[in-house]
Amino acid sequence: MNRLLRTLFLRPRLILALALSSGAVEAADLAVIVSARSPVVTLRPDQVVEIFLSQSNRFPDGTEAVAVDLSLGSALRDEFYGKVARRSPALMKAHWSRLIFTGRGQPPAEVDSNAAMRKLIADNPGMIGYVDRVALDASVRAVLIVR
Amino acid sequence: MGHVLSARSVVSAAVLACLLAWMPCDAQAQTTWRFGGFGTVAAAHSTEHQGDYTVNPNSPGRAGYSRDWAFDVDSRAGVQMDVQIDKRWSAVAQVTQEKSVENSYKTYLTWANIKFQATPDLSLRAGRIALPLFVAADYRKVGYALPWLRAPVELYSLIPISNSDGIDASYRWHAGNVKHETTISLGRATARLNKDVLGKARAIVGITDSATIGALTLRFTAAQTLLVVPGAEALFDGLRSFGPPGQALADRYDIAKRHVRVYSAAVNYDTGDWFVIGESGRINTSSLLGDQTASYLSTGYRFGNVAPYVTYARLVANLRTHTAGLPLDGLPPEAAAVAGVLNDTLNFQLRQIGVQDTASVGVRWDIAPNIALKAQVDRVTPRGGSIGTLINVQPGFRSGHAFSVVSLGMDFVF
Repeated sequence: MNRLLRTLFLRPRLILALALSSGAVEAADLAVIVSARSPVVTLRPDQVVEIFLSQSNRFPDGTEAVAVDLSLGSALRDEFYGKVARRSPALMKAHWSRLIFTGRGQPPAEVDSNAAMRKLIADNPGMIGYVDRVALDASVRAVLIVR
Repeated sequence: MGHVLSARSVVSAAVLACLLAWMPCDAQAQTTWRFGGFGTVAAAHSTEHQGDYTVNPNSPGRAGYSRDWAFDVDSRAGVQMDVQIDKRWSAVAQVTQEKSVENSYKTYLTWANIKFQATPDLSLRAGRIALPLFVAADYRKVGYALPWLRAPVELYSLIPISNSDGIDASYRWHAGNVKHETTISLGRATARLNKDVLGKARAIVGITDSATIGALTLRFTAAQTLLVVPGAEALFDGLRSFGPPGQALADRYDIAKRHVRVYSAAVNYDTGDWFVIGESGRINTSSLLGDQTASYLSTGYRFGNVAPYVTYARLVANLRTHTAGLPLDGLPPEAAAVAGVLNDTLNFQLRQIGVQDTASVGVRWDIAPNIALKAQVDRVTPRGGSIGTLINVQPGFRSGHAFSVVSLGMDFVF
């Protein structure tokens, strides 16, 4: 019930964000997404970053979060880390080298297209990913728009 | 061969633990294997010809006295196998190929452990695990993961061990906007203190907390171990035979069984475009093996794929590196001769406790997604009559004179 209320309450803000952002139709605005069935409604960039850098394995509401990446080298992936985490591909590689080679962690699983990402996220309420904004549909919810 | 066997046995132990169903093993859970590796090829040249410049005495490089350009100061390689058995159980084994004190490259089993992710915030590991005494202590050998050509030698040459055989627990928690990760480690290890001295670190207990607020990370570590080092009985029994003054000297400097305490604090601010990192660490052996504090401050800026940096590092001794030793007055000639030898031995060992500072400038250039080229120039000054962090020091060496080290390297990961 609580979740439903919160979703209903917060949804207008999200729609507003989407509406405002639709002005600039520059290439590759991207959307950080969760399943439409997820209770998570909105996230701050720093909350997204800590999940994708494996500094946290939970959404702010305490439920478990599993990050999913687009494949290494994809332009959207580089844009996502560049804009949200302010890290170049080389810095991300160095970050994961530190975790992998000390046995402390592994990078997110990868999918190779917006469509595959959207389907995987839609089917798994505990997962979080990102797609090109034009790939959004009703099966997923944008919790952060990155321009 | 032994390494391969032990790596295998760890994996099978993990599988066995799963089969024993401490945790129900999901039938759908897919076991995934990952293989990766890292390496550095680098050459170093030192203008100090009366000793060899090295990163760590346990992995002796030969730049300066033995070689004009030495490839063994920083070059090494490692490979790693990871297996994710299910959502909660995983295992890792890593072997590295590095310079050994026998002056040849040797294969070491760096880590081999099983990890159990009890909750999203709590992980437990058992086996051979990284001991995170300093910020880069557990990944300093992965050159690609470092902004520098090498981790500052003043601090990182002090580490006699980087892994321990035991268990650790890591817990992530939030306090307001501050993210914490707290790790507690328990274990034991073989500690190579230098070329000639091999000890056992028993009952290692360590706690590390790292706190992150946005781009700022603060880190604190405290650790203690009981270090047992055989082989110096002749010196200390000899001292004790000289009555109360000898007794006092032996109690002060004996290395046979001592509590070693390690403290460190670090700050790291990294916006992505630029970084500042500072760290200070103290290792107190309460013995002739020294009590040293090392600190460094480094900053760098990233111009796209090119990231220049400057570093200043300093190593100081928290004890006097000279002792008057046994009083010789009034001793019969034969006893005075023995006492003189004991005093010289004490003072020779005290001079091995390095005091040094280094100013460095360098650059990292990411030329490909997995490859970084690096160049670094260091201005190194061993001080206080000590040999600093040099090894193979020759009679012509004079402390207090600055020398330069030029290094070029390539780091890769796959």
